[in-house]
Amino acid sequence: MENFEEKLANMPKPEISDLKHQDMLANALVTARDKSVLSGWWLSVPLYMLAALLMKTVFVPNTTLISLIHELTRTQKYSSLFFFVLVPVVFIVLNFMAVKRIHYLSGNPQTMKLLQMVWFNLLIIVVSLLLLIIYSL
Amino acid sequence: MVTESELIRKIKDNPAEFSAIFNLYYKPIFGYILRRTGNFDDTADIAAETFIRAFIHIKKFSYRGVSFKVWLYRIATNEVNMFFRHQKKQQSVFDRVDFTDKTLFNHYLQQDREELEAELQQHSQFLEVLNALKTLPEKYQNVISLRYFEGKDNKEIAMILNMNEGTLKSLLSRGVEMLRKKCNQI
Repeated sequence: MENFEEKLANMPKPEISDLKHQDMLANALVTARDKSVLSGWWLSVPLYMLAALLMKTVFVPNTTLISLIHELTRTQKYSSLFFFVLVPVVFIVLNFMAVKRIHYLSGNPQTMKLLQMVWFNLLIIVVSLLLLIIYSL
Repeated sequence: MVTESELIRKIKDNPAEFSAIFNLYYKPIFGYILRRTGNFDDTADIAAETFIRAFIHIKKFSYRGVSFKVWLYRIATNEVNMFFRHQKKQQSVFDRVDFTDKTLFNHYLQQDREELEAELQQHSQFLEVLNALKTLPEKYQNVISLRYFEGKDNKEIAMILNMNEGTLKSLLSRGVEMLRKKCNQI
């Protein structure tokens, strides 16, 4: 028995000297993850604008959020379209792709595991959808 | 010199730092999986899957007496066991990841394949023992390969497999005896 253990421990085993594919794989993995996490800071501009409009409804009598958004649409047509339509739509698309990518990369995990991995992406999608809905009211 | 804990903190702040961990541990983990499977293609897939799992879950990793290296060996062991349990060929990890130059990557992979398949062929005695080991239940395969193929001590194996040393010793003793009988039959 001891002899056999010694034989197992001392038997020559295959060793790895160098792996040529290693660096490219490392880069591919890191890039894949980098692409999957998108900065939510871009949404802070329309959210800030929305907060400002909400504050305005509190302090200016006879105003509602919808009326203020309509006014913003009239006076700042292009910037409001950019921040309340273009930015949220881009974020929805990019984060949806990121969720799909993580799902794919992690080999079709169970729903709960996937939710733990992509909760931030889903949060961004929800916030973007809210901005779109509020703007379209 | 950056410590392991500092490196993990850096990765949590910036995922691109993961390549440092990858470069540090990819080769030993790859070697461990190769000595478990005896097959280059399965090893390459399982090793990449191991690091993808580690990368995705690194934010959840925290030191609780378990080093990152032990954590990686634990993931690799689970991946190997899953592979042996299911044996169904999933889509290769390499088809799921984007490479800057896929042709060049495949060229490097082919070079590694040729080199390591030649290395495996030079170790026919090891392959015979490995084939006998593969017929044993999973729990014996885990302890024997970590102890005798990887040269880990009992304390580290117990941490990797998340079991106490007493259980490990009895598994080792029974496993070695079973493997000895299997090898005598060859």
